[in-house]
Amino acid sequence: MIVGITIITVSILVNQVTKETFSKNNPGLDAVVGAKGSPLQLILSSIHHIDIPTGNISYQNARKIIKHPAIKSAIPISLGDNFQNFRIVGTNKSFLKLYKANLISGTTWSQPMQAVIGYNVSKVTKLKINKFFVGSHGLIDTGDVHAEQPYKVVGVLKKTGTILDNLILTSLDSVWNLHSVTNKDKLEITSLLLKYKNKTSSFSFPRLINKGTNMQAASPSFEISKLLKLTGNAHRIVDYLSVLIIILSFLGILFTLLNNINERKYDLAVLRTLGFSRWKLFSIILSEGMIISILGSTIGLIFGYIVYESMYYFSIVGRSLELGQLNFLYDLFLIWIIVNIIAFITCLIPCIKVYKQNIRSTLLNS
Amino acid sequence: MLRCENIEFNVDGQNLFSNINLNLKPQKDLLITGPSGVGKTTLLSILCGIQKPTTGKITYNSIDLYNLPENKIDEFRGKNLGVVFQNFNLINTFTVKQNLEIAVSAIDTKTSIPFFNLLDRVGLANKSHIKVANLSIGEKQRLAVARAFVGDPKWVFCDEATSSLDDKNAKIIANLIKDESLRCKASLVLITHDSRIKSLINFSNILKLGDEL
Repeated sequence: MIVGITIITVSILVNQVTKETFSKNNPGLDAVVGAKGSPLQLILSSIHHIDIPTGNISYQNARKIIKHPAIKSAIPISLGDNFQNFRIVGTNKSFLKLYKANLISGTTWSQPMQAVIGYNVSKVTKLKINKFFVGSHGLIDTGDVHAEQPYKVVGVLKKTGTILDNLILTSLDSVWNLHSVTNKDKLEITSLLLKYKNKTSSFSFPRLINKGTNMQAASPSFEISKLLKLTGNAHRIVDYLSVLIIILSFLGILFTLLNNINERKYDLAVLRTLGFSRWKLFSIILSEGMIISILGSTIGLIFGYIVYESMYYFSIVGRSLELGQLNFLYDLFLIWIIVNIIAFITCLIPCIKVYKQNIRSTLLNS
Repeated sequence: MLRCENIEFNVDGQNLFSNINLNLKPQKDLLITGPSGVGKTTLLSILCGIQKPTTGKITYNSIDLYNLPENKIDEFRGKNLGVVFQNFNLINTFTVKQNLEIAVSAIDTKTSIPFFNLLDRVGLANKSHIKVANLSIGEKQRLAVARAFVGDPKWVFCDEATSSLDDKNAKIIANLIKDESLRCKASLVLITHDSRIKSLINFSNILKLGDEL
């Protein structure tokens, strides 16, 4: 029972947190334009900062998109480096407005190689205002660092409960300087985060980009709903498996109790002769079964939460997940209640057997 | 007052005994005798509310035993009757003390029972933490007697309490039952085919199965 409830708890928590995180991380973006490749990969890397980018696009081409009449706002981002696995994002200050970010201390960058760090970054790395750090090549810490050009922390952001808490923000110039790109014609960015002036552009604009350029435009809501549908199926399989394990545990409780009362039928008959009523013995056996069930299901929930917390703390992907709302409590409580109601019904079988026991024949046969 | 009226018991359509009538006044004792297989143990089960008779009525004071709901019969037995079974019916995995404690918990009494005094009287004070499985037959018999008297019952039933014991132990057990019955002011019903018992306890009433009192 503990195993079954643990699996189902983890499944609920991961499902809930994934949905919540994906929804919170997207502050109303309509499209992301980036290099051709998997559209889901582009969304995951540019908005949720989980996957690696599909490549780079020319900043010159990006500027043409920014000026397109269908576009209300466009924020360029440039990825490529990290500090202790926290991604360094080259962007402009509109990125902060997009997430309605406020500073706890310091200010935003005013020149290259200045950085504003997210709330979780400052907590984990202990970076503070005026401290310096060097970025590592790539999006995962490999130890290959840009030692010659350190960043200076000029600002720390308040907690937002979004992916912003796990990012280090700097100007696009910082990223270009660090990678020694001086020719303005060769400047590149990873992607553009777009909002349309009119929602009707969500059909025409991606077609324009996908067919007319060497870039792609991907819709965050479309790609994420596709992903959730896929992961939803996987969650369902895991849920079926855990239900099977829970059913087996019910059978375990049933046969344990039946075996137990079979071994103790003489003792139970003796208790009746001493004055224990049928109902008293019925309630004793029921209590034994329910104690096993309540303890098992509660320990399962606790283990499930511990497994989820471990995933959160020990995985890089977990850092991008944030458990905000407590909606999951209702689901877990419901499962706990259902499991214990079924356990109660299961326990009634041995209890009825005890209730119907004929004490004289049991004592004579023993 | 224990009153039995026209008790009859049939097994698989065969009559085991019939027309059993008796009145047992408070603090009086009754010896039920008869050869093996005549139904002495069955009669004890009927008197204790363990086996319903085919016909007849058993009343304790004014309470019609088999007119009570089943749960109330169990409770009545626990609170008012003490039973020493032929094969003791002790819980072998429990210790001596635990066997007495479980009997007390069945009564739901709020008064604390002085186990030590009771065990001392039956000569098991130094064996209270020993498991029943490790006791001798005589010790088990004494524990069964102690358990029957744990709640100060008003009626005590003993089934072949001395039959499997040697003369010395039979005397000890018989005296113990007699003394404890006097202490509790209980009526005693003793069922046996052991002829030695008449010389050990002076019974005010004797019933030979098939004979009326």
